[in-house]
Amino acid sequence: MSHIHIPDGVLPIWLWGTGWVIALIALTIASRVSEREAVRRKVPLLGVMSALILVAMSTEIVPIAYHVNLTVVAGAILGPWMSIISAFVVQVILALLGHGGVTVIGLNTIQISTEMILGWLIFRTLVRILGRPRVRWAAAVTTIITLAMTTTMLVGIVALAGAGPAAIRDTGALNPATLSFGNPLDGGVVSIKLFSTHEHADDHEADDGHAHEEVDTGLSISRFAAVVYTLGPIGWLLEALITAGILGYVARVRPSLVFEGGLAETEPAHYGDEHGRH
Amino acid sequence: MDITAVDRAAVLGTSRLHVTSARAKVIAFTLVLATVVVTNDVLVLLSALLLLLALAAGMGMPLRHMLPLALYPAVFAAVFAFASAPSVLSAVLIVGKAVTAALGSIVLMFSTPYPQVFAIIQRFVPGIVGDALLMTYRSLFLLAEKLTNLSTAIKLRAGLAGRQPVRAVGATTRALGGLVLYSLDLSQREYDVLRLRGYEGRLRVRTIPSADGAMDRALLLGGGGLLSLTIILRTAPDVVGAYSWILAAISLLTLVAAATVRWRKS
Repeated sequence: MSHIHIPDGVLPIWLWGTGWVIALIALTIASRVSEREAVRRKVPLLGVMSALILVAMSTEIVPIAYHVNLTVVAGAILGPWMSIISAFVVQVILALLGHGGVTVIGLNTIQISTEMILGWLIFRTLVRILGRPRVRWAAAVTTIITLAMTTTMLVGIVALAGAGPAAIRDTGALNPATLSFGNPLDGGVVSIKLFSTHEHADDHEADDGHAHEEVDTGLSISRFAAVVYTLGPIGWLLEALITAGILGYVARVRPSLVFEGGLAETEPAHYGDEHGRH
Repeated sequence: MDITAVDRAAVLGTSRLHVTSARAKVIAFTLVLATVVVTNDVLVLLSALLLLLALAAGMGMPLRHMLPLALYPAVFAAVFAFASAPSVLSAVLIVGKAVTAALGSIVLMFSTPYPQVFAIIQRFVPGIVGDALLMTYRSLFLLAEKLTNLSTAIKLRAGLAGRQPVRAVGATTRALGGLVLYSLDLSQREYDVLRLRGYEGRLRVRTIPSADGAMDRALLLGGGGLLSLTIILRTAPDVVGAYSWILAAISLLTLVAAATVRWRKS
């Protein structure tokens, strides 16, 4: 569940707007930290790792709407700060290709960078506990834990979108009697009635004696959670196998990349010596 | 996702939309996106979709490459709609929003080279982010080509490991591991190039000015008009909501006219 496949205009504005604000703050901090040193090395590394994620994402498994992400691999190599920048770059390019909404770039950046940072953190910890020879196990366990956590985060986002007064949408946004929009803070954070996800009869109209039918267009959280927790584990398992294979292979060929990160000085293994133990 | 097709169409295309300024196209796309966000009416959404199709068809853009990309997010939106939408109409609305927004961005990207769009984004994001966008764009094509070659190699090897899925998975992951290593070598080469050229923390993109001011204005007017109508329909549905079909009918006629012009030209 690397990012949210929710189209534009489905989530309420307060939610995706908050996502944008948090993502931009995180991006500014990450950029300042990253620009402090070795920026000439970081820019190409960011470019290729972001491109790698995008290329991996281009291979989707349609029946379960899943595609390979390699976010844990990228997180392990990039580290936490560059992961935030890479997540944003990936989401911008995906949105421009129509894959993922533009309004949800902020939320997606939070989601994918959380996945990369958690991946980096848990992987490092597990390698320290289990030891370098068990790098595949560390990678697989990291991927499953990380994806389970970010899937729960996704369900949380949809739950936020589908519940509470902020998600209420009125059919008659403009009150004809007063020729004004309702107080934006009257029924929640945002109820200016242009952006949200429920419909119900307007109180003012009800006062006029019109018959109104309450139409519930709220998102079904329990059904959504049931679907993602049913399909998700298949994807987690596939991603865990692939991540374990990749990190295991790279750990054999260039251990410093996996254990010290992408900016470490590397000593490539000689051809034919890829399977040697380190 | 055939990203190379997008780039080819954007760079080699010669339509009026291609010579329009990137800024006007980005603003028009933002207006269409706002329409998608604001509307709750399937007919208004359909109108936006038909108008975008009419624009693409009228400008002679490669619909054969564009439509699969625009329909791609429908797969994921359908899963989301199935999982969470309370009614069929809501599900259609969710999928429709995904496809319309995707088509809007695809029309933009098929008519505007990436660096021109990134040049606009660069103004709003920190330097390293703007540069990373450009480096990602450059690396994307190299890695996509490398992955294609690796996939061919894996298919050839599958002949040996067809009945051994574990071995085949092993070969696939080693190939992807090879792609990771290739990526890091590529990063090192790009670092050498940047160092050689005296990079000091900002890659500059020269923006191409518009060669068709009338088209700029038409795009802005079209996008603005669509959003205005959507807001009116959204805010006063009791008064004008019943007439949203007129917008859809006009859009359909526009598409038919654009398709006829395209057919006559071809």
